[in-house]
Amino acid sequence: MKPLIRIEKLNKSFHNNQVLKNIDLNIYEGEVVCIIGASGSGKSTLLRCINLLEEPDSGNIYFEDQNILDSQFNLNKLRTKIGMVFQSFNLFNNYNVLDNCLIGPTKVLGLSKKDAKEKAIYYLTKVGLENFVHQDVNRLSGGQKQRVAIARALTMEPRVMLFDEPTSALDPEMVGEVLSVMREVAKSRMTMVVVTHEMDFAREVATRVIYMDDGQIIEEGTPEQIFTKPQHPRTNEFLRRILER
Amino acid sequence: MDNFKIIIKEYFTQILIGIGNTLLLALVGTVVGFFLALIFANLRILKIEKRDQLIVKILKKIGSTFSKIYVTVFRGTPMIVQAVIFYYSFHQFGLIWTPMQAGLFTVSLNTTAYLTEVIRGAIQSLDKGQMEAARSLGLSKTKAMIYIIIPQAVKNSMAPIGNEFIINIKDTAVLSIIQVFDLFSVMKSAAGTYYLYVESMLIAAAIYLILTLSTSMLLRYLEQKIGVPSKPLPSSN
Repeated sequence: MKPLIRIEKLNKSFHNNQVLKNIDLNIYEGEVVCIIGASGSGKSTLLRCINLLEEPDSGNIYFEDQNILDSQFNLNKLRTKIGMVFQSFNLFNNYNVLDNCLIGPTKVLGLSKKDAKEKAIYYLTKVGLENFVHQDVNRLSGGQKQRVAIARALTMEPRVMLFDEPTSALDPEMVGEVLSVMREVAKSRMTMVVVTHEMDFAREVATRVIYMDDGQIIEEGTPEQIFTKPQHPRTNEFLRRILER
Repeated sequence: MDNFKIIIKEYFTQILIGIGNTLLLALVGTVVGFFLALIFANLRILKIEKRDQLIVKILKKIGSTFSKIYVTVFRGTPMIVQAVIFYYSFHQFGLIWTPMQAGLFTVSLNTTAYLTEVIRGAIQSLDKGQMEAARSLGLSKTKAMIYIIIPQAVKNSMAPIGNEFIINIKDTAVLSIIQVFDLFSVMKSAAGTYYLYVESMLIAAAIYLILTLSTSMLLRYLEQKIGVPSKPLPSSN
């Protein structure tokens, strides 16, 4: 089977700090890949390179077998196929819940308002916000905001969803509702790449776990392999520190 | 008191015309300035990207440099000087225009410079995540600006734009230098006619104060209606 996303020898530096060092990674259709690692290990940067919110310095990224780093490649079209959920939600403050979900389908995909609305309401219902459709986004709780953000990305019906620490900015009591929505998304066989500190989620939902440290992929495997018998001492050390808390 | 009465009685119609012209200058200047500033602010923040073609890179550089120079020149020189230069130089090029037209032109271009900085600041102070989220949905930079960034930036600029309008009510007095028939011109000519300088200018001051205060109150009311935090009466440029 061909990978949906193929990353080869990816390098990225900010000023003199090399945050990604020769990363190779394939993501296959239907996978739920959780990327774990300490802050500053480069996991968010790696994720942000996949939809080119960060432009890598060198290396190749293929999406559906096309080189997305080719200067002729249509970035905006690529991004319609890659949903992204941010740590800080980034809902559009000038729109209500529904309009946040409509802007992409109507202004980018060219759907009619009626079709887009049907889809948006379908996904808002999936994330449990069917009663908040006309709410001002500034009056939602953090958990609700993140669920809107997930619905907004899903309404584009992308081929893969990227989650960049989706629960890190939430109050503890709201983490659960967002994770349970993400579980539902995973159940629908959506391909997902999740940067997270939620080890229980990774253990339960991931089909593959990747441990990153210092800009490199140190170890990858099934959750079972990574969490119960990590091969690399650094993985072991990281997990021991984070699970002991 | 008689002196005040004479001035007001004899110049009543002209004072009304003067007030009308002053308000027209301030209003047109602010509205035209706002729309031009939207363009100039967006030129100013054009960023050259790795993916851009060479010609795009050059055009972006020209656009942002032009906007920067424009703002520097117009904010760095007095409006009274700009008015004289525009009024007479256009005459030299054979364009005959009235003082009022030259005045509207000057105040519009001057306001553009100030509002460019206001709108640029408002755009740049928005959370970077707004643009990133828009781009992540596949919106082009232009669409992201139109649907996401500019509406929020404009809303956040409402208070400073209102301030600029109030400033324009007062500062268009300098346009009397090119014989624009504004409130100050009227009172100046009344002063000359009766040799009543203090009385005439006190009347002018009172009328300006009424205009700025009532405008300020109107703006505050409008700002509350659209949910923008208000700011106190501003000082002059």
